[in-house]
Amino acid sequence: MKNESHISLLRVNKSYQEGGNVRTVLNDMELTINEGEMIVLLGRSGSGKSTLLNLISGIDQPDSGQINIGDTDLAKLSEKERTLFRRKNIGFVFQSFNLISTLTAEENVLLPLKLKGIEDENLLQRAGSFLNEVGLGDRGDSYPDRLSGGEQQRVAIARALAHEPMLILADEPTGNLDYETGKKILDILNKLVRENGRTIILATHDRDICSIADRVVELQSGQLHDVTEFEGA
Amino acid sequence: MSSENKDLIWLSSLRFLLRHPWHFGLSILGVALGVAVVVSIDLSNSSAEKAFELSTEAVTGKATHQIQGVSEDLDESVYRSVRIEAGIRSSAPVIEGYGRIQGLNRTVQVLGVDPIAEAPFRDFASQEAGIDLSKFIGGRNTGLISQNTAQEMEVEVGDTLVTEVAGVYHDIQLIGLIEVENERSRQALESILLIDINTAQRLFGMQGQLSRIDLIIDENQEGTIKQRIESVLPEGAAIVRSESRTETVAQMTRAFEFNLQALSMLALLVGMFLIYNTMTFSVVQRRPLIGRMRALGVSRNEILFTILKEALFIGFLGTLLGIIAGIFLAQVLVQLVTQSINDLYFVLSVQQLSIDPYSITKGLLLGLGATLIAAYWPAREASKAEVTTVLKRSSNESKILSRIFPLAGAGILVGSIGGLILLVPNGGIAAGYSSLLFMIVGFSLIVPALIVGMAKLFRPIFGKVNGMIGKMAVRGVVTELSRTSVAIAALVVAVAATVGVGVMVDSFRTTVVSWLGSQLQADVYIQPPSSVARTADSELAPDLIEVLKATKGVEQAGSVRSVQIRTNFGTDNLVAIDHGDAAEEAYQLKVGENAFWEVYDTEPIVMISEVYAYRKNIGLNDTLIIQTDAGKVPFTIKAINFDYASDIGTVTMNRKIYNRYFNDDAISGLALYAEEDVDVNELVNRLRVRADGMQEVFIRSNRGLREASIEIFDRTFTVTVVLRLLAIIVAFMGVLSALMALQLERSRELAVLRANGMTPGQLWNYVISQTGVMGLMAGILSVPLGILMAYILVYVINLRSFGWTLQFMITPDVLLQAVGLAFIAALLAGVYPSKKMAEANPADALRNE
Repeated sequence: MKNESHISLLRVNKSYQEGGNVRTVLNDMELTINEGEMIVLLGRSGSGKSTLLNLISGIDQPDSGQINIGDTDLAKLSEKERTLFRRKNIGFVFQSFNLISTLTAEENVLLPLKLKGIEDENLLQRAGSFLNEVGLGDRGDSYPDRLSGGEQQRVAIARALAHEPMLILADEPTGNLDYETGKKILDILNKLVRENGRTIILATHDRDICSIADRVVELQSGQLHDVTEFEGA
Repeated sequence: MSSENKDLIWLSSLRFLLRHPWHFGLSILGVALGVAVVVSIDLSNSSAEKAFELSTEAVTGKATHQIQGVSEDLDESVYRSVRIEAGIRSSAPVIEGYGRIQGLNRTVQVLGVDPIAEAPFRDFASQEAGIDLSKFIGGRNTGLISQNTAQEMEVEVGDTLVTEVAGVYHDIQLIGLIEVENERSRQALESILLIDINTAQRLFGMQGQLSRIDLIIDENQEGTIKQRIESVLPEGAAIVRSESRTETVAQMTRAFEFNLQALSMLALLVGMFLIYNTMTFSVVQRRPLIGRMRALGVSRNEILFTILKEALFIGFLGTLLGIIAGIFLAQVLVQLVTQSINDLYFVLSVQQLSIDPYSITKGLLLGLGATLIAAYWPAREASKAEVTTVLKRSSNESKILSRIFPLAGAGILVGSIGGLILLVPNGGIAAGYSSLLFMIVGFSLIVPALIVGMAKLFRPIFGKVNGMIGKMAVRGVVTELSRTSVAIAALVVAVAATVGVGVMVDSFRTTVVSWLGSQLQADVYIQPPSSVARTADSELAPDLIEVLKATKGVEQAGSVRSVQIRTNFGTDNLVAIDHGDAAEEAYQLKVGENAFWEVYDTEPIVMISEVYAYRKNIGLNDTLIIQTDAGKVPFTIKAINFDYASDIGTVTMNRKIYNRYFNDDAISGLALYAEEDVDVNELVNRLRVRADGMQEVFIRSNRGLREASIEIFDRTFTVTVVLRLLAIIVAFMGVLSALMALQLERSRELAVLRANGMTPGQLWNYVISQTGVMGLMAGILSVPLGILMAYILVYVINLRSFGWTLQFMITPDVLLQAVGLAFIAALLAGVYPSKKMAEANPADALRNE
């Protein structure tokens, strides 16, 4: 783990209009993450975890503040620039897997590679090796609806890592899985992220997951607090 | 191709289509039907135009100019003067008319020529073509037809062709066959009977007369040669350019053809709405998929282009299928179009469909263009959506609910723009159709608000009739408004188009029936058979007229004479009437004073039809200069009458005035009034017996003629009725596809209901109730839009195309048909999804994504 400040969020604010009321989700929020660090983001349902991940990925924009990823301040980018930034630098793992139902497992893994414009001769091999890593080397031709929940999430992990993103965002990756499968998925994610030296933010409401984290933060009332009482990896 | 080289976004899109084969197939069908209608009408029109062009080319030959007489005839002495006194050798006399040869199922153009003068004009009619002169001009009735026609009729040289001209049968001996090298000329000559000029004079009763004299005038010497010719021409005769005559004839059908094209475009517009519906539906259905792609970094433009590419793919397949179907459909439509042209304008025989590359290209561009335009908005909406919101649909539903009033406001604005377009002076037909388009789009935007309103009304009713399921069915339409409103709007437009055209045809028919009621005052009408159903271009034999007038039971007689004249506006149709006092009752004046009838048999005044006034842009008290045998005479327009017999327009004058200026005693039609207490049917039989063996004529009672006229009217509207039927099929397919897709899409929700204890029977009830509600809503909403469309078709487009005033007639049949069509199609649309879901294991549907 290198100790450079890799990602920094400075005085980030985000609120939503709900009928006649304004609901503040993030309030002058600050966060710094070092390269290769694994952060677990805790918070109850509706606390704003997904909002925060959406801001870090450039899917959404803050009302004010800076979101620096590497040398780029996402808050200053246009929608198109944020999309291009995301396809190159961010890998996603969602709670509901969000695989593209009309592409096979292998094609789902290939998609971010192709979007990034990687024209490697061994593209298929690369996708295949990531599928192997998650234990689905023989299911490359299967469509998502033929895979179990755990298998789908493993494909999603392979997809998130395949194009070597700067940052991986995982939003409740075990939320839709049973305990055993969830545990296996976390092991795979942990292993691959660390082997590949990736930075990851893992949002969850499950405190058991904290055991794999380098650092745990909790989102409460629009601000982040460090959580120290957990068993580090 | 390996995955490595594939465009994965496109591949995903393509697989999405293939995974929804019903949806995919029906959207292709939507485009195909629209394109098929446009292509078939276009091909029919262009085939008719080509046939006209060919026949004109064959008959006009290489003539650059023609000498025409005052009305239809020209004294043959003029030909001698032109050839000898003026020394114009490139001149040829022509007699032109129509006839029917027994055994050939079409009207032929009878061309009387002098083969000796023909060489520079028409190769096939000249001495050099190998015509046996001694037989051809030998004084007997002889003639030639093309080799193809002879084969078609299975006749050989030496056989006799029994030919009917103006109700009189003549035996014509076939003395040779016209042989030509190229295909174009061969087609052109398939409907021509070539005879000697003297034979033609006998056949047409034109002794000493010609139809015209053809000329070839060198462009460089046009001025001097024309001067030389004009010096020997009698009063009233004139030299006109050949093409100007052709142009006049071609102009007649322009509005007719344009309207057919416009109606076919209406079918394409309906098709466009269906494509819009399909694409919107497809996009809404794929929101989560699009959201995932966007989250992974697929840009807005990539989404936009992929969906447009997909639309283009559907458009291409649909267009291709549509063009093929259009060619087949055109084979049927060309016969109907030709029939209408024959009934309304001039004799035309289309032997084969000419597949014009221009029509095909137009169909291709329209199909692809319409698909792209229709798909653009859904594609744009998909690409513009925020990633955070596309991942969940509920936000979209609540968004559209909050938008219904702004949408309705925009709809009223767009509709008002449509209304304002109608106010543009001299807007023409194109403005009429643009206005129609704006109003359709405007109405569609109001549809979501109307659905919400109707649902409030329907809910308690359906609740009472069908309990909780009934209420749920209505509620479901509102909760899924983003999908249901587009589908219902598309159906409303499709069904309204059938209402619009239906009401237009009904209005037309009612007007014509009521007009015929007043126009036909006499008890019996006698006319020679005419080559064009709505005109009287033949003459009654004078001895027959005397015999008929003198028949027992006839109290008095009236007559009409119909001729082509030259006026300061070109060649027009003049009708000279001799109806005595009955004329005042028969002719309904639109503008004019009653005093007209007091002086119309003494002063040089005329009455023009409203169509004529509209086409020539003239009115009461304007002057019409008519070329008469006494030279150019100014006639004052003193009345404008309603006349639905001709869309070209008619000038009417009293027979006494006609006789004063024209050397013509002929009569084109006779009207007889029966004595009191005489049975009209018996009188008709008596007249038929007396006319037997003389000229073949139609002797019809007032009622008989009225029925025959309505029959012709209905025949000329067959094309429109067929187009309406096609629009109904498009609408039916639209209702079926949109609602079926909607229900199939809800498999998961239906599975939840099944899992919660809904029986297969209750599921059937639920699905069919919901499609029924939507069909009913679409049917009801199509009525006001359909009436609005009919209003524009009747009062704007018809008026601007033809100048007719029509009574607006809405019959309940058309409206019930529309609601019924939408409702039945909607019920049918529910059958397959209900069956599928009732039979399926709910667990499977719940497991599937």
